[in-house]
Amino acid sequence: MSGFLGPLDADGRVPPQQQTRVAAFLISAHGALARQFALALPLRIETAWQTELNAQFYRESEIVSLLQRATIWVPDIALGYMAASWEAAWLPPPTGLTGDRSLAPSVNLATLAHAVHAAIRPAALLPTEASPADPFVLALRRIEFESGRLLQAQILFLKGPELLPFRDAVSAALEQRHNEVRRLWREMLASIGIDPRE
Amino acid sequence: MECGASDEGSRSQKLLANAMPFLSHGSYRIRYELDGPADAPAYVLVNGLTQYAELWAAYCDALLARRFRVVTFDLLGQGVSDKPALFINQDDHVAVLHRLIGTLGDGPVFLSGISFGGLIALRYAIEHGKRLSGLVPMSCFAELSPQLLLIGNALRTGLILGGTSYLQDLLLPMNLSDRWLKPLLDKLDGVKRQGWLVNDVYALQNLMESFLDFHPITSQLSSIAVPTMILNGEFDFLTPRCLHETLRVEIPDSALVIIPEAYHAFTLEKGALTADLLARFAEDVLAGRWQGNKAVLIAPGEPGGELSPFPAGYDHLRAIPVQRPSP
Repeated sequence: MSGFLGPLDADGRVPPQQQTRVAAFLISAHGALARQFALALPLRIETAWQTELNAQFYRESEIVSLLQRATIWVPDIALGYMAASWEAAWLPPPTGLTGDRSLAPSVNLATLAHAVHAAIRPAALLPTEASPADPFVLALRRIEFESGRLLQAQILFLKGPELLPFRDAVSAALEQRHNEVRRLWREMLASIGIDPRE
Repeated sequence: MECGASDEGSRSQKLLANAMPFLSHGSYRIRYELDGPADAPAYVLVNGLTQYAELWAAYCDALLARRFRVVTFDLLGQGVSDKPALFINQDDHVAVLHRLIGTLGDGPVFLSGISFGGLIALRYAIEHGKRLSGLVPMSCFAELSPQLLLIGNALRTGLILGGTSYLQDLLLPMNLSDRWLKPLLDKLDGVKRQGWLVNDVYALQNLMESFLDFHPITSQLSSIAVPTMILNGEFDFLTPRCLHETLRVEIPDSALVIIPEAYHAFTLEKGALTADLLARFAEDVLAGRWQGNKAVLIAPGEPGGELSPFPAGYDHLRAIPVQRPSP
C-alpha cells in the first residue's frame, strides 16, 4: 500500500486506472449532493438561505462536470458493483434525526454534504511530484479547495440556533455519516493500492 | 514508545503512526507518545493550533538526554487524533490532558504548552494544579485582547476562504523570523506540507472556534500555586508582552523570561534554547533552587547561557528603553 496516488508517469500524471476509480467515487458523491440540492431548490427563491442552496447545487454540478472532462477514463469492470454500493450509501437514513420531521431532510442533506466536503481530501492523495499542469491533478486540488468553502454552509446550519436543542443527535448523526463516507473512501482507495494513513 | 521522528521524514512518521498508542476520551481516540525512564520526572508538551506531535522531536531528544520522560500528543481535532465533526470544547482538551497525565504515575510532572496549547496548560493548572510540579506557558494568553480577538477572527476567515495552506501562509511570516525564513523561501511548500496533510480544515476550524468564544481566565490565574516560567518571544506580536504580563502579575510563583529576537513560534525556531530552558527550569524546581518572584528575565542567545535580569528601572512592556515611573 502507498500513501499517495502513483507511480506517476514521466509527465507527472496519475495512472488512468487510479484516475478512473477516484473520479468515479467523487462523481458519485458530488453527483448525489447535486441531485439532492436540486430537489431541495425551489423554482423561485423566497428566503435568503435558499440562495446558498442554489450555489451548492451549481458548485456540485461543476465538480461533476470537471471530473468528467479532466479524467483519463479507462474501462473498469469493478465500477458497476462499487458505484451501486456508493449510491446506496448516499441515500438518507430511514429515521428522522431530530424528532422534528420538518428538519430531518435538511439535516440529512447537511450531514451528508458535511461528510463529503470535510472527510474526503482528494488533493492530499497527490504526491509532491504530481504535475501542476495536469488537468486531473488540478481538478483534485480544486475539488478539495471548493469543498472547504462549500462546507461552511453545512457548518453554519448544523451549528445554528435551529438545531441547538438537538445538538447531541445532530452530532451523533454527523459522526456516523463521516464514518460511513470515510469507510467508503478508504475502501475505494484500498482497491487501487492506496492507504491515506500510510 | 519513542517520541516522534524529525519533521522531514513524514512518510516514516505516518508508518510509525499506525503503531502509536492511543488514549480514549469518550468515543474519541487521542494519539500520544511517551518515552523515557518510568521513574524520571515527566515533561508533557501541548501543541499549538496548527501543530502536530512530531514537531516536538528535538525537545524529546534534548529532554530525554537530560533524564526526563517526555509526553507529546495530538490534541483532539489535530493530526492523528480523532477529529470531532462539529464541536470541540476547551473542556475536552483539559479532560484529555488530565487523563494523559493520569497515566504517568505519581512522579513529578512538568507541563508546557505553546499558544493555544499554553492556554490549555493554564486551564489544567487552574483545575488540577496539585498534580503539577511546574508549569511553562509559552507564547500564551489568558484573555483575548481586542487585537488578538480580531486577529483570531481574521485567521479563521483566512482558513475558511483559503484553506489550511492559506492559514499557514499567514502564520509563517507572522510567527517566524527573517533569519529562519530566508533560507527556506524556495522550500516553504515542503515546510507546510506535513501540517497541511495531517490537519483538516473543518477540524482546525472547530479548534479555532473552541477558543474564540472562550471566557477569560485572568481572574483564576492567582490560584496557580506551582512554579511557573512564562516564555515570550521578544518580537511576538500575535501574543505580545502585555498578554504575558497578565500571567506574570497574576501567577504568584512566576517569572517572565523573554526570548531574544524570537517571534511567536520560537519553539520551532529556537528549539535547542527552549528545550534547555525547560530542562533547567525543571531541574531548578526539583533541586529547590527555583524562585519566581515575578521576575522579568532575558534568556541567553544560546543554550547553556546565563539568564539575565531585565535592566532595572526600564519598562519591559515597551519596545524602546523607557524608564518606569518612580513608585
